[in-house]
Amino acid sequence: MTSILVQDLHKTYKGALEPSLKGLSFNFEKGMITGLLGPNGAGKTTTISIICGLVSADSGLVKIFDLPQIAANREEIKKLVGIVPQQIALFPQLTAIENLEYFGNLYGLKGKPLRTRIDEYLQLFGLEQNGNKAVHRYSGGMKRRANIIASILHQPQLLILDEPTAGVDVQSRSMILQFLRDFNAQGASIVYTSHLLDEAQTICQEVAIIDEGKLIVQGTPANLIAQHAECHHLEDVFLHYTGHAVRD
Amino acid sequence: MLRLLATIKKEWLLLLRDRTGLSLLFAMPVVLITVMALIEDAPFRDYQELRFDVLTVDNDHGRLGKYIREGLEYTGQFNIIDTLDGKPVQEAQALDKVNAGDYKICIIIPQGATGAIVSNANRIVNDLSKRMGVPAVLPVSLRKDSLNVLVYFDPASKKAFKSAIHQAIDNFLTQVETDLLLERIKQQLKNKDIAQQDSMVIQLKAVGLKEQLTGPSQQLDVISNSVQHNVPAWSIFAMFFIAIPIGGHMIREREEGSLVRVRLIPGSFLDILGGKMLFFMAVTVVQFYLMMMVGIYLLPLLGLPKLMMGNSHLATFIIAVSIGLTATAYGILVGTVFKTPNQALNFGAISIVILSAIGGIWIPLEVMPAKMQLIGHLSPLSWGLDAINDIYLRNRGVQHIWLHVGKLIGCAVLMLCIAAGVEQRRIS
Repeated sequence: MTSILVQDLHKTYKGALEPSLKGLSFNFEKGMITGLLGPNGAGKTTTISIICGLVSADSGLVKIFDLPQIAANREEIKKLVGIVPQQIALFPQLTAIENLEYFGNLYGLKGKPLRTRIDEYLQLFGLEQNGNKAVHRYSGGMKRRANIIASILHQPQLLILDEPTAGVDVQSRSMILQFLRDFNAQGASIVYTSHLLDEAQTICQEVAIIDEGKLIVQGTPANLIAQHAECHHLEDVFLHYTGHAVRD
Repeated sequence: MLRLLATIKKEWLLLLRDRTGLSLLFAMPVVLITVMALIEDAPFRDYQELRFDVLTVDNDHGRLGKYIREGLEYTGQFNIIDTLDGKPVQEAQALDKVNAGDYKICIIIPQGATGAIVSNANRIVNDLSKRMGVPAVLPVSLRKDSLNVLVYFDPASKKAFKSAIHQAIDNFLTQVETDLLLERIKQQLKNKDIAQQDSMVIQLKAVGLKEQLTGPSQQLDVISNSVQHNVPAWSIFAMFFIAIPIGGHMIREREEGSLVRVRLIPGSFLDILGGKMLFFMAVTVVQFYLMMMVGIYLLPLLGLPKLMMGNSHLATFIIAVSIGLTATAYGILVGTVFKTPNQALNFGAISIVILSAIGGIWIPLEVMPAKMQLIGHLSPLSWGLDAINDIYLRNRGVQHIWLHVGKLIGCAVLMLCIAAGVEQRRIS
């Protein structure tokens, strides 16, 4: 069973000269940590936006756990998916607990079960001492961790993370990556985008490299590296397929 | 319901954390209303309520001068000044003072004015007597040219003011002439030795003028004074300023990504929007009543009249909620259409000032040119103010404000639909 199936996806934004997606196709197996990698402008954000229903595709098919991403299934899919945006999508003036209570309430969680879950996650992410501190007073790493908690309160089966470790210190990164492994071990599927290819090579069981709106290559990091004698790391493979030219 | 209540709680917490914003929302309107009511107090007083010093040069020293002086003083609007530095006012001196703006009016009663009136009355009576076969005995002046009471105004005086003074003096002249004429007729009849002459009463004014109430109002004395206009008007203005924080919040939520997170959570977005709207509507209604309290309790301490709120508190509440709804919807429209908080701030502030100016907030619509009145009635702020005037000044109730309420709610729905369209277009 696939966690995400994408077939022949096309998308051109209104007023854009070039399409963002040109027949993108891939599928990610359920229960895996998968990296969706690509240089700037490759179409990663558009793909994630279409997968989670924020943006409509011009054509093509997207399925989440075999559910087509169409208006009729959108609410069901939202329950299954958690998105960790690259931005710290929290209210800075509120404390972490207030933020998490609010988003928990929006998911329909309330009372003691919600509070227990919040406390567990705060502890898991090392924020139990700072739960009552306003988020704008947090360090970058603390914000990233709180940002992840807000996305997993409803315990999604598929977690999509957009550069979850960007700009955080080594300790926070280690904690986040360990959480992803543990969450995956509990049965959740994880899709992860990052420009940190060493990290992706470490954590991802499979990666899909996309560029210019199309899939370039998909496979396990070890297999992809093995296919090219000159490549020793995932970054070498990435550069092999996407080139050295700087992207805007 | 949980989502709606959670959103209200979230907005409440965000407002509490923003101490500056909180004080701006509540303290600034109070200051604004107090200052505006004080500044506009004098212009709002009718000329009948003000007292003016009137320089009087009486070259006649007769009955007419006495009548005019007494008549003007009796109205309570004028202080008669006929001496300056202990000396009788001279004509040239009076003209200089009025021209310099030291005094608003100067009245010159010409020499022989009373004589001319008496002579005219005598002439009429003699003529009537002659036609009735009674010998004419009253003395008549041979002078043929007419005399005028001269009135000089400060060149900066307004037309309405001049017109009111003209009318008042003209009334006194007519009164003097009529009194003298009746007196002479009585005198002539007395000469005829008619038996019942002493009991004869001539009453010229058979029909009088009396002010009555037009409706069920028990508040005849409530007139559109500075407080009655400024407190509701600037309260509506301040309520509409809620559009700026709402717009700013929405744009920041979009920029920071929390709006995206909310959209990714299952459930209707209307719950979130409804919670936000309910919260900000409640804030505007609290603002409204706070400002009414200023009109009732604070402004009288500063020497201004007390605000009268009519008899229908339900109607007042309904219109306050309706204005709050429209102001909140306007904020949501601004927050949806514009991309940065700065854009929302600039457009929001300027557009509210324009809508208030044309909507009769600064000065009542009735004193604007006809075309501006037509345009002004398109402003939602004028609908709110009209409804409040109906309640406060005309003492009307719920059944009389539905048209205004309907227009405000319709406008709010239209703005929300436009906002939804813009948002949909942005997403797609």
